[in-house]
Amino acid sequence: MKINSNPESMYFESFKEGDQVAFAYFYDQHFSKIQAFSISFIYDKEEAENVTQEAFLHLWENRTNIDSINGITSFLYTYTKSKCLNIIRHNKVKDRFKDDVLNQKERELDTEILNSISFDVLELTELEHLINGSINKLPPKTREVFIKKRFEQKKNIEIAEEMQVTLKAVEAHMTKALKLLKNSLSDYLMLIFLFIYNN
Amino acid sequence: MISNLIDKYLSNEATEQEVQTLFEWIEASEENKKQFINAKKTWAIATLSGTIPNETTPVINIKPKNKTISYLKYAAVFLVLLGLTKLAFDFNQKTKLSKEIVLELGNGTIEYITKNNQTTLLNDQGQLIAERKLNEIIYFGKVNDNKVVYNTLNVPYGKTFKITLSDGSVVSLNSGTTLRYPEQFGINGNRKVYLTGEAFFEVAKDKQHPFIVNTNQVDIEVLGTKFNVSAYPETPTVNSTLVEGSIQMSETNNKSNAILLQPNQMATWLSHSKKIIAKSVDPSFYMAWTKGELAFKDTPFSTIAKIIQRTYDVEIINKNSDLAKQNFTGTIKISESSVENILELLKRDTPFNYSINKNTITISNFPN
Repeated sequence: MKINSNPESMYFESFKEGDQVAFAYFYDQHFSKIQAFSISFIYDKEEAENVTQEAFLHLWENRTNIDSINGITSFLYTYTKSKCLNIIRHNKVKDRFKDDVLNQKERELDTEILNSISFDVLELTELEHLINGSINKLPPKTREVFIKKRFEQKKNIEIAEEMQVTLKAVEAHMTKALKLLKNSLSDYLMLIFLFIYNN
Repeated sequence: MISNLIDKYLSNEATEQEVQTLFEWIEASEENKKQFINAKKTWAIATLSGTIPNETTPVINIKPKNKTISYLKYAAVFLVLLGLTKLAFDFNQKTKLSKEIVLELGNGTIEYITKNNQTTLLNDQGQLIAERKLNEIIYFGKVNDNKVVYNTLNVPYGKTFKITLSDGSVVSLNSGTTLRYPEQFGINGNRKVYLTGEAFFEVAKDKQHPFIVNTNQVDIEVLGTKFNVSAYPETPTVNSTLVEGSIQMSETNNKSNAILLQPNQMATWLSHSKKIIAKSVDPSFYMAWTKGELAFKDTPFSTIAKIIQRTYDVEIINKNSDLAKQNFTGTIKISESSVENILELLKRDTPFNYSINKNTITISNFPN
């Protein structure tokens, strides 16, 4: 007899039944992703942590309504997206620039971007697949820089020091990573944009 | 270049002035705005990826990873798993089954190796002969053949340890293992060590001086590179799995009863019939413990229980007859899994109840 070859589905079932250990598995797996996502729109690490915690809390409370493992990520991202939109709308995003006009414009752009992304389960599966594929295809150093930047929010200088490369090299890696990622997502992005335009 | 500016902005490295320039560019046309939005969307969505640091690996992965590592500088790499010898029995008597790693020096002095202490590694003349690191000791130097001194190291259940012998050979010791070895090898002698338990050997090349592992009734002589030897007291067999190079397993008292192994083969000494047989295997499975993993393949629960007892230093009493008959396949990362984690996972496949009292786990039928 084999142990279930997909440990995740075991965890998922237990999670639905109220098993906190299983919940902790998903918590560990997704926490930094959700936090990294939130930071992109609310720019404050602690605030992002709060939002993420809230998302997980609500996930736990709504666990009986989640139908599949992808439903977990869908729920978390959808919750976080709406929370971020809320924070922006209520002017609770900290001002990053001295020029308030810039702050205002940034909020407008962020709102538009958030509204244009849908995290429903079907789309999410497709997206995850695309993203994982393209990040895995990145050359190792480029990938390392990207991960340090995206998920650890490290400054370029810190990354340069850690990886023993020049600042310019780090910047070049970032540019490369973003370009390659955008290419992979180009179909998806075009679809979304058409959707917005037609709306 | 605008794309540089966008990247800088997304990386949080743009100055206010640069952001100003960027936003002006965005407002210049619908096309520009679209380009920016796509870039930031990509950035935001990238968090969906599973390739992030601090990812907790599931407790059980199904396929043991196949890693081909090159150990070119070593003469032989092998794993030895041994049966009970008088050696271990005597040693345990002396140290009263210590929970700590115990080192007995040639002159009989006993030292306990704990995380904190700095074991002095001087020989009788007060010369430094070894270096101590967190979970290993590294010996160096040679002596005249008539001055070779043997030390004995005992690794209890729940711990592992590594010794680099004075010729550069590295021996990784699994839980419940005793190794008797020369503190410093002799200039002209054979390199002979004595093992009870399980160890992974990476033997330094030295054609003039054969490296021999004695395990109760068998000798494993190294002619080549890396191997794992498994010879635990409870098992009536001695297994030696070769990763690289070549080794010969022979009956100590009857040298003509021998088998020469090729890489990816495992030789088994059957102590009842006094036969040595060989078969092809995937060494990474047998070496999983050296990578901090436990690997099972159609392994009966009784064996799994034994391995858990050794690795985590607990006692398992199984009263569930169904469970005892069950086989399991999977890999567990030791540092990331507690005994409870493992039991919980096994439970999903074959339901059972268990209770824990201090270090003893009792498994019963389900439902209770």
